[in-house]
Amino acid sequence: MCSHCRARDARRACVAAFCATIALAACQREQRDLDPHVEPLAGQATPLSGLNPGEDRPAPIRSSNGAGFEKNAYAISEGQRLFAWFNCSGCHGNGGGGIGPALMDDVWRYGGSIEQIHASIAQGRPNGMPTFRDKIPDAEIWQLAAYVRALSGNVPKAAAPSRGETISVTPPLTRVPEQPPKPADSVSPER
Amino acid sequence: MPTDSAPTAHAGTADAWRPAKRGVRRCMRLRGAAFALAVTGTCAAAPIASIPPAASAKDDGSWTLAARDYASTRYSPLAEITAANVGTLHVESTFSLGSLRGEEAAPLVANGTMYVVTPFPNIVYALDLTRPGTPLKWKYEPKPDASAQGVACCDTVNRGGSLANGRLYFNTLDGDTIALDAEDGHEIWRTHLGDIRKGESLTMAPLAVNDKVLVGNSGGEFGVRGWLVALDAGDGHIVWKAFHTGPDADVLIGADFKPFYAFDRGKDLGVSSWPPDAWKIGGGSAWGWISFDPGSNLVYYGTSNPSPWNAEVRAGDNKWTAGLFARDADTGAARWFYQFSPHDLYDYDAVNESILLDLPVGGATRKVLVRAERNGYFYVIDRASGEVLSADAYGSVNSSQGVDLSTGRLRYAADKKPATGRIVREICPASPGGKDWNPSAFSPRTGLVYVPHLNLCMDWQTVPANYIAGTPYGGAIARMYAGPGGKRGELLAWDPVARKPVWKIEEDLPIWSAALATGGDLVFYGTMDGWFKAVDAHTGEVRWQFPTGSGIVGQPVSYRGPDGRQYVAVLSGVGGWAGAIVVGHLDARDTSAANGMVGATTDLPTKTEAGGMLYVFALPCT
Amino acid sequence: MRPAPWIAVVALPLAGCAGVQSALDPAGDEAATIGDIWHLMLGVCGFMFALTMLFLAWAIVRGRRAREADAEARHEPALSLALHGWIALVVAGLAVLAIASFLVDRRLLAPATDVLRVRVTGMQWWWRVEYPSDDPGRTLVTANELHLPVDRTSEIELRTEDVIHSLWIPNLAGKLDLVPGRVNTLRVTPRRIGGFRGQCAEFCGLDHAWMALDVRVESADAFEAWRQRHLAPAKPPLSAGEREGAQLFVQKPCVMCHAIRGSDAAASTGPDLTHFASRATLGAGARPLTREALAMWLADPNRIKPGVHMPAVPMTAAERDRLVDYLMSLE
Repeated sequence: MCSHCRARDARRACVAAFCATIALAACQREQRDLDPHVEPLAGQATPLSGLNPGEDRPAPIRSSNGAGFEKNAYAISEGQRLFAWFNCSGCHGNGGGGIGPALMDDVWRYGGSIEQIHASIAQGRPNGMPTFRDKIPDAEIWQLAAYVRALSGNVPKAAAPSRGETISVTPPLTRVPEQPPKPADSVSPER
Repeated sequence: MPTDSAPTAHAGTADAWRPAKRGVRRCMRLRGAAFALAVTGTCAAAPIASIPPAASAKDDGSWTLAARDYASTRYSPLAEITAANVGTLHVESTFSLGSLRGEEAAPLVANGTMYVVTPFPNIVYALDLTRPGTPLKWKYEPKPDASAQGVACCDTVNRGGSLANGRLYFNTLDGDTIALDAEDGHEIWRTHLGDIRKGESLTMAPLAVNDKVLVGNSGGEFGVRGWLVALDAGDGHIVWKAFHTGPDADVLIGADFKPFYAFDRGKDLGVSSWPPDAWKIGGGSAWGWISFDPGSNLVYYGTSNPSPWNAEVRAGDNKWTAGLFARDADTGAARWFYQFSPHDLYDYDAVNESILLDLPVGGATRKVLVRAERNGYFYVIDRASGEVLSADAYGSVNSSQGVDLSTGRLRYAADKKPATGRIVREICPASPGGKDWNPSAFSPRTGLVYVPHLNLCMDWQTVPANYIAGTPYGGAIARMYAGPGGKRGELLAWDPVARKPVWKIEEDLPIWSAALATGGDLVFYGTMDGWFKAVDAHTGEVRWQFPTGSGIVGQPVSYRGPDGRQYVAVLSGVGGWAGAIVVGHLDARDTSAANGMVGATTDLPTKTEAGGMLYVFALPCT
Repeated sequence: MRPAPWIAVVALPLAGCAGVQSALDPAGDEAATIGDIWHLMLGVCGFMFALTMLFLAWAIVRGRRAREADAEARHEPALSLALHGWIALVVAGLAVLAIASFLVDRRLLAPATDVLRVRVTGMQWWWRVEYPSDDPGRTLVTANELHLPVDRTSEIELRTEDVIHSLWIPNLAGKLDLVPGRVNTLRVTPRRIGGFRGQCAEFCGLDHAWMALDVRVESADAFEAWRQRHLAPAKPPLSAGEREGAQLFVQKPCVMCHAIRGSDAAASTGPDLTHFASRATLGAGARPLTREALAMWLADPNRIKPGVHMPAVPMTAAERDRLVDYLMSLE
């Protein structure tokens, strides 16, 4: 075989390998669940207290598959839509708060894990948070909770919604620094 | 030389004071000119306005209404403290209110007792002024529903009560009006008026008028239907209730109703100036100030913004929101109405104070009321007919181009009109207006109105609004910031006769406190970083200031203590809408938080922290 | 060969000539104008196409003949004439089309008097239809159904609150986009009474294909009667089932998104349901409106219209029946 034919064949092989690699990389796509059915949380309600008598750690939070929503871009963007539709922004602003507390920082009166946020939305809270248990289906409450986690940067960057269509009043959610709830396994002091 | 004899009554003063206890150190009482009563005629050569005698208060040294008198002047004739000696003013006593929210109330004083109403949970403290250190006499805890905190748009404030008939009348956040015995604090009656599940709350100071107590709801940000109720002072039952939207019968509009301008006339405008059923969730609440003219038996008060903020879903003038009612105090029948901001576009509530004055206009004296309005204009309105005599901008205004005095309509600026999906920038004044709820004071000695106001502008984007009862009904994203010049607050001395400013003091932070004018030719006000200031009423020169522990958003008062001395009292404790970032621990990275206020107050947390303290000042005993 | 498939092949293209969603069956002035220019273009371009094919055929046939050297010289003047003629024909054809297009545009945008103002807001994936009025108390809000009076120009303001849509009612008026932050105006002058189907014509998301608009053209009297009926608040629930359904409506998530005037529900992120039962379809044309379809829809809207924003609301079968009773009573 001629030398330039060998070179040509080698080039073709490289290109083919390259294209195959690229094509295979596209196989892992996020699954978009248009009609999510969430398992109800088993057993008792989500614990909010750090005290767990008899033990040296707080009571474990039992989770459901809804907790996975905070890694799912579609769920977070649905939560973003619902956050405006259901007037969450009327009390919580665009994360900065107002009538209700700020959701974009690391201070959580009633716990900042997605399960605790879900519980706060569903049950309501005594100092002014309404009860949405009967008014928002459970899967949508998980979507809202996932968006609330995104407000404080606690979701993967690839899943966070990027620019919005409204006036820019907050840093884009892909640029919000990750602020894990403090303390990690309980609630913040009353302020 | 101290003496422990009982005080003698001065000519012209009431004799309501208890004698001081023996052994209490007495200060030498100044006599004569220092206790001058309210007089007209100062150095000014030009005629100046005066307080209508019928609407003025007895000069007994008490302070029984938030504004001291029915004319809402917030003027105390006491003149012991003057510009010359105020430099020595010191703290006589303090009292911690056990509260960390905005202290917007006016302390009330009568019979040697001071009454303070706190923000949620609306505790009432009665303090004994006859003993040093103003110790607690009694305390009343109404225990309102904690969920009410979720429907209070602008901090869980309370603007105080009214003292009358030996009772204290005040409101709780969750919708009750309560009458307490002023002597021992036991509850006489308690009437439930507001439904928090519809977004209603009560924050205003009720006004005791004749044998009634007037109460208006809050909730213009929640799509409530606004109303004003008259409760019987004796037992608290509802005597009359006037809604501010809906059919004429509900609004108590009848044959006596004669608005001055054509655009306020028509049948059932409270229905026909709205899309179908929008008036039921149309706002127009009455959370602000009420003035009363006993001469004509009319009460004057304003209504809030229409709901929602998104004006596109409520086509029409949206009667009877953002306007001023004159009603018969006994029946509630509406006499006239004037709408400051028809089809309001910017949340320009019309609940500010109306100061009743007899004003020299063109050689004659006219009975008017004057208002520094949210929409940026200082109005002079004939209080018999509702005719607007003048409307002059008292700050930066570009959202409108004046008021057409022939039709009465506000001329909105076309380039600042909001629309869905459009961002409109640099709208002045911002939503809290040229001035928000914090009331002005008038001095009959200088003839000037002292206006503690704002210099804020905003960017605004209209977004879809969704009504869900009990949640905010908004539809706009706003972001505020300092107006032209960069100073966010200003105390302005305005001449209502000449219709122009005389002097002003600029403040870096917005001013959210009320003003107090005294017979010693001083004006008192507080700043949001806690300075309580006394300035010369003629020139605006700051004569004294004191750093209280937290920003001042309340109403200073002045009274004569049981020992005959003049005292000035104010609550310190930042909050209210302007102080939301501090009391709510809001995040400054979201400039739209607290309906845009955070954008204008991102530095406030570095300048003050929440608090709740009563300060009482007096001159030192010499 | 069997005739049946051939008939289908011929008939299929002709199916677009008539029906409720056909641009070739104009029922209004604007569609007629567009139909006219469409036919003109068909004619001109068809003629040019035929000519081109003719010349092509002639060239193929002639090309097999001898190629004498002087053949070129003999044909040169003829060729030159043909070339110039062809250029002139093309220029003339294009000029005709350009002028026609210009005139059609002017006709479509010509102002009209006594217009009926309508406002259509495209949402994902339904249409909010409003009839503003100088008297605000007579503004009407409904969804997914557009009623127009015959022989009167309607100016439809096109808006949207989320993404770009496009409104196309083939029988009545051509496509015009609904763009966020912008108001476009579409003029429609219907000339025939009847029902027509509009469709979203700009890809707007998962259910773009399920976003139909039911257009009814009626006589002026019928239109006013319809408008009066729709301005009235919802019929109060009468039977026990309807009353229970009305209660369930505000106890369940329904009240978070829908309005029924006359009840406590006044939300606007979903379609207005005040006169829901008077509509012909459900879910912006997804199904004809029947009790069974409504029950299926309430059980799980995603089974009928995958991706729709309305969620499956948890409820028992009995509750679903009561809600269907109530909603079907809202004439």
